[in-house]
Amino acid sequence: MKFTLNIWRQKGPEERGRFVTYEARDVSSDMSFLEMLDSVNQGLIAKGEEPVAFEQDCREGICGSCSLVINGIPHGPDRGMTTCQLYMRRFPDGAVITIEPWRARAFPLIKDLVVDRRALDRIIQAGGYISVHTGGAVDGNVLLISKEQAETAMDAAACIGCGACVAACKNASPALFVGAKVSHLAFLPQGRPERTNRVKAMLEAVDREGFGSCGNQNECEAVCPKRISVRFIAILNREYLRAGVVESSLPAEPESPHAEST
Amino acid sequence: MALSGLGLVIYVIFHMLGNLQVFEGPLVFNGYAALLRDMPIPLWAARIGLLSLAALHIVLAIQLTSRNRQARPIAYAVREYRQASFASRTMATSGFVLLLFILFHLLHLTAGVIDPSSVDRPDVEGHRDVYGKVVHAFQNPFIVAFYLAGQLGLGLHLSHAVTSSLQTLGLEYVAFNRLFKAAGPTVALVVVLGNVAIILAIFLGLVRG
Repeated sequence: MKFTLNIWRQKGPEERGRFVTYEARDVSSDMSFLEMLDSVNQGLIAKGEEPVAFEQDCREGICGSCSLVINGIPHGPDRGMTTCQLYMRRFPDGAVITIEPWRARAFPLIKDLVVDRRALDRIIQAGGYISVHTGGAVDGNVLLISKEQAETAMDAAACIGCGACVAACKNASPALFVGAKVSHLAFLPQGRPERTNRVKAMLEAVDREGFGSCGNQNECEAVCPKRISVRFIAILNREYLRAGVVESSLPAEPESPHAEST
Repeated sequence: MALSGLGLVIYVIFHMLGNLQVFEGPLVFNGYAALLRDMPIPLWAARIGLLSLAALHIVLAIQLTSRNRQARPIAYAVREYRQASFASRTMATSGFVLLLFILFHLLHLTAGVIDPSSVDRPDVEGHRDVYGKVVHAFQNPFIVAFYLAGQLGLGLHLSHAVTSSLQTLGLEYVAFNRLFKAAGPTVALVVVLGNVAIILAIFLGLVRG
């Protein structure tokens, strides 16, 4: 198979970027999208040109490293999968494919198709954790959690933090990401004690990072490789409203679990 | 945004229901108008409340929109939407169309600045002849076209607005989620059908002066 690729090239954060057209020849229909880019890069290296920078890690669809807006859709034309799980047989032979990086002010571009997604990590650092050690796996039925609650928490916890929700959102809002993280902890007893402060701290972090706000267009749900439901955005909003009414049961300034003991 | 919007939605539903009395004939309709006018304190409270709700809604919309535009400084060269509805992507536009329409509507039928030819004459019971004014207005094809365009903006805006507001308020329950999703388009359809029925019934001569 062969393809015409329009790829966004940008040497660095401060440089001007532009689309460059490449021909990808002798592509096997069984290549993944990233393998196809690897082969294009091999050609560029052989010619002495700078290869296209893109992010990848596990190539199993579970790490959340890969990105790429392919023909206007984050993670490409198939639903519920990451770019690394997308195969070239999905495209008609001779197709023109436009490849762009995630675009958001909170995701500054580093090089070519690589963006800095640490804003999501900083949101997690603001409150997306529990402060106590829960130890190893507990014995069965020690903590009674209903099947429905466990399933809901698991559905939310499926988020791999790739940022496709931000990339797809007209407003570059991370509401689906934050909703998934807040919900998965709020549905489990280990996450409950800190839920009031958590949702406030995480949403404050969202504003600090320069993301937009959720307009409930639900485009995020349609591109999420883990098919996380927008109902977790409603749960996020509910948690936030609850935090405005209910006072936290914890002391106002809890001792940081990571502070050095003196 | 959600709360000010929902307040306006409730008004727009009652506005439509009240105006449907045009089908009951001039006496009932003028009586209804007189009933509202005879309560100056609730009337002006409602008017001021609505204006401040609308102003709040517009200010918040402008703030949010400008912040949201800043959140993506470089646009995508190719963009394909998979799920986001047309209505949800054009809220700012439909909102602006709606604002222009509401200003026209207030100048036209409330203040009487536009088309003052239909002066307020008393009807047989001595009430102001609002019925005659409305019937006169919707016999004019330009005014009908303008009002129908306004209803298109209203329908688009509401169809996303109501469902979106419920989501913003955190209303979510697995068994009811389909209901919440359907709320926006349903409210939009009912309100627009009611209003369009009035306009077209007069234009087509089914309701006469």
